[in-house]
Amino acid sequence: MGVVLLISFLAPLLVIAVFSVMPQKVFSLLHLPDFSSYKLVFTQGYIKSVVWSFGMALASTVMLFVICWPLAFGMAKVFKGFGLFITIAVVVTLFVSENIRLFGWVLTLMKGGLIEGHLRAWTGLTFEGALYNVPVIVFGLVYAYFPFMLFPLIQGIAMVPDDARQAAADLGASRWQIFYEVDLPLSAPGIVIGSLLSFVLAAGAMAESKLLGGQTVIVIADEIETAFTYGQNWPLGSALSIILILIIGALSIFGINRVNLDLIMGGRRS
Amino acid sequence: MSPEPILRLEGVSKYFGEFTALDNINLEIDEGEFLTIVGPSGSGKTTLIRILVGIEELSKGKIWLRDKRIEEMPANLRPTCMVFQSLALFPHRSVGENIEFPLKLRKQRPDDRKARAFELLDLLHLPRSFYQKRISECSGGERQRVALARALAFDPEILFFDEPLSALDFRLRKNLEKELKDLHQRTGKTFVYITHSLEEAMVMSDRIAIMRSGHFEQIAVADEIYARPISRFVAEFMGEVNLFSVKGDVSGNLVGTEIDIQTGRVGPDSAMRLGQGASATLMVRPESVHFLSEDSAADFVVGGVLQAEYALGSRTQYKIQADNGDELAVEKLREDRFPGKIGDRVRLGWNAEYAHMIMEE
Amino acid sequence: MKMSRSARIALTLYGVLAILFLYLPIISVGFASVSKARYLTFPIKRYATKWYGKAIESSTVQDLLWTSLSVALLVTVISMVVGFFGALAFARYQWRFRGVFQKLILLPIFFPQAVLGLALLLWFNALGIIPTWKTAVVAHLVWISPIATLIIAIRAYSFDPSLEEAARDMGASTWIVMKEITGPLLWPGVVSAGLFAFLLSWGNFPLSLFTTGADSTLPEWLYAKMVSGYSPLVPSVGILSIVTSIVLLLSGVIVMWFIRARSETSNAR
Repeated sequence: MGVVLLISFLAPLLVIAVFSVMPQKVFSLLHLPDFSSYKLVFTQGYIKSVVWSFGMALASTVMLFVICWPLAFGMAKVFKGFGLFITIAVVVTLFVSENIRLFGWVLTLMKGGLIEGHLRAWTGLTFEGALYNVPVIVFGLVYAYFPFMLFPLIQGIAMVPDDARQAAADLGASRWQIFYEVDLPLSAPGIVIGSLLSFVLAAGAMAESKLLGGQTVIVIADEIETAFTYGQNWPLGSALSIILILIIGALSIFGINRVNLDLIMGGRRS
Repeated sequence: MSPEPILRLEGVSKYFGEFTALDNINLEIDEGEFLTIVGPSGSGKTTLIRILVGIEELSKGKIWLRDKRIEEMPANLRPTCMVFQSLALFPHRSVGENIEFPLKLRKQRPDDRKARAFELLDLLHLPRSFYQKRISECSGGERQRVALARALAFDPEILFFDEPLSALDFRLRKNLEKELKDLHQRTGKTFVYITHSLEEAMVMSDRIAIMRSGHFEQIAVADEIYARPISRFVAEFMGEVNLFSVKGDVSGNLVGTEIDIQTGRVGPDSAMRLGQGASATLMVRPESVHFLSEDSAADFVVGGVLQAEYALGSRTQYKIQADNGDELAVEKLREDRFPGKIGDRVRLGWNAEYAHMIMEE
Repeated sequence: MKMSRSARIALTLYGVLAILFLYLPIISVGFASVSKARYLTFPIKRYATKWYGKAIESSTVQDLLWTSLSVALLVTVISMVVGFFGALAFARYQWRFRGVFQKLILLPIFFPQAVLGLALLLWFNALGIIPTWKTAVVAHLVWISPIATLIIAIRAYSFDPSLEEAARDMGASTWIVMKEITGPLLWPGVVSAGLFAFLLSWGNFPLSLFTTGADSTLPEWLYAKMVSGYSPLVPSVGILSIVTSIVLLLSGVIVMWFIRARSETSNAR
């Protein structure tokens, strides 16, 4: 298992790392390394894409936390059968290709789409569709990574013992104080995993900005794809990938290390 | 006729890194006896039993089953069997399939297996209809019986128990303790039982071994451990006890700084005495201490003030603040209750035959 | 925690809204797929199922379906096996590098899939392997088998280690313990992991994009058509793909139900 992981996951990363220091526009690893790709990254405005990607990822993660918390709380502590229903409903959407769902939003939000079309037909009012701007990309990210925040949060909140909340209430804590003093720290592992997952996935996402955002902003994943396909510049694409990988990898390792995996997955404390 | 030891341990040790869980354990278990190993949590009793069963490996030492060395033998080849604390009943199998599991492993014919399973259900007072029941449908007590039946189906040379009764409520536990003792007598098998509950040990066992941080403190029959513990640890572990420091004087008589001593010797036949200058701990159980009237005498006498009274059901316990500051416990049967009230001055006394000396250090 | 009735109702409403939010785009695609017009606008004036007919007849779509199906089936089978043993290593057995293993296994899940796909493409290139749908299987596995491992691990965490010890104590060999105790107890987890594996592979786009070479899966084709050269077949093919998922999900649930029913009757025997 470990060996398989090594060959299929770590080795490819190594290849990318080596490619990133090759001279421009070569297609093999048999060249003397120069660091021209990195120079290009820092001088040709690629950093802007990196900033956009991580900025939008941050925005969507914060929104996801705010949106998912009440629902996760309901599912972990309040709902019974209805909670299972929501779980199944959310999981099923995961099985529908992300592209189709985003395409569905295009059909919903475009001029002449589900919302604008019906609005015009019924009231005569019209507007220019809601597509092709930055907020709709963030909206798309929130939509696409909703389950990745929701389920870890549920798991985290389920780890908060009811009697700790009751004791806090009994000792005179307000609803907000219970949230801040009990729920938040005790469900921290779920929050860490959920935020980390949605942040890193959103930072590396591409379909949302392409399908919903048009050409409003170019995200880093998009730049990488372009460098590899139209640009035919593998070293540049690799250098961009390495930057993305380094940031995401550092965040993931930091996050995963802070969480007791046995505990969050329902193991016993031993 | 002295029974042969069925299991013999020599220098068994277990280390977890720096930590010594078992320290050079020696033990002989007789064929057919009911031995209970008692100790507080962390004393190493679970580690010991897991080594005896073969689930855990020992770090050092030898184990003989009759005349065969077994310490290297894996659990599945040892002819012994354990009832787990969690019972470890297979949730995906019915009661019948659970009981038949060891027989199926031995490739017995289904008819024979079923017949044996029915016998065992009868033996454990479970209705035969339980054969088809799911484990999840059984109550706590029923599960205990199923687990026992499964272990007996294995027909082990020695049956080990890892605190299987600890999760049950009081009444059920009391009943099962007695049933287990009966079962031991009926089957004639060797039972080795571990628990942290002293009462459980007293009810069931032929011998009790008291364990403390990786070694045996004392191994003896229940009465001996209760009346003549060899250390303060055992004395205190085996229930309420009053302890006093004493010394031997020039002529070998006892002197206490706290109590009025009339005799130099202690024990049922006045067998124990201290050498000159030696020190020891004098022990007396609360039920052996009496409230003395002004004119009566006893071998040992202490004065104090009655502080509190606790009803324990069939008995009543009194807490007395002795004149030297110690707290003493006295227990009387309900019908022999002391007539005084809290705050009264009292004189306590007991006789040498109920006293015991612990010669530690 | 005692909750007021109004708070409970508000939360329930919120849940309903969330589900609507998740399903609204899929509903839009559904409507679009039955619109008769070549260039779609809402509200839809005339309904027709002709695009479904066209989609099913199209040999391109048939090829796409076949490729997607082959990839997904292979991924399912392999990740069930890998996940089973991976989960035991993840959750059940105490071994020296378990902590490292647990973290390594999570990394591919946290990784941007497009970058993962690219990295694999470069790796295949360096090894001299020409990408086809078979290399896509490998790519999918790098991402999906850790997920399968986690799903089975959750199941593995929930069972009492003394069950295995007890079986061993009663004389069962390692193989028998696996067959009689560990296997049956983990089986529901393995089935749901298989279901997840299939569906995730079936819908995956970013990994396939770089690793299928000249072959193409359904999501890849859909994306290409969405970004450039829109075809009225897109909504209906999309819906067909969703229907396939649902059919599979349902049959998976039925299989699980059947397994449970069978184990109950075998107990009652």
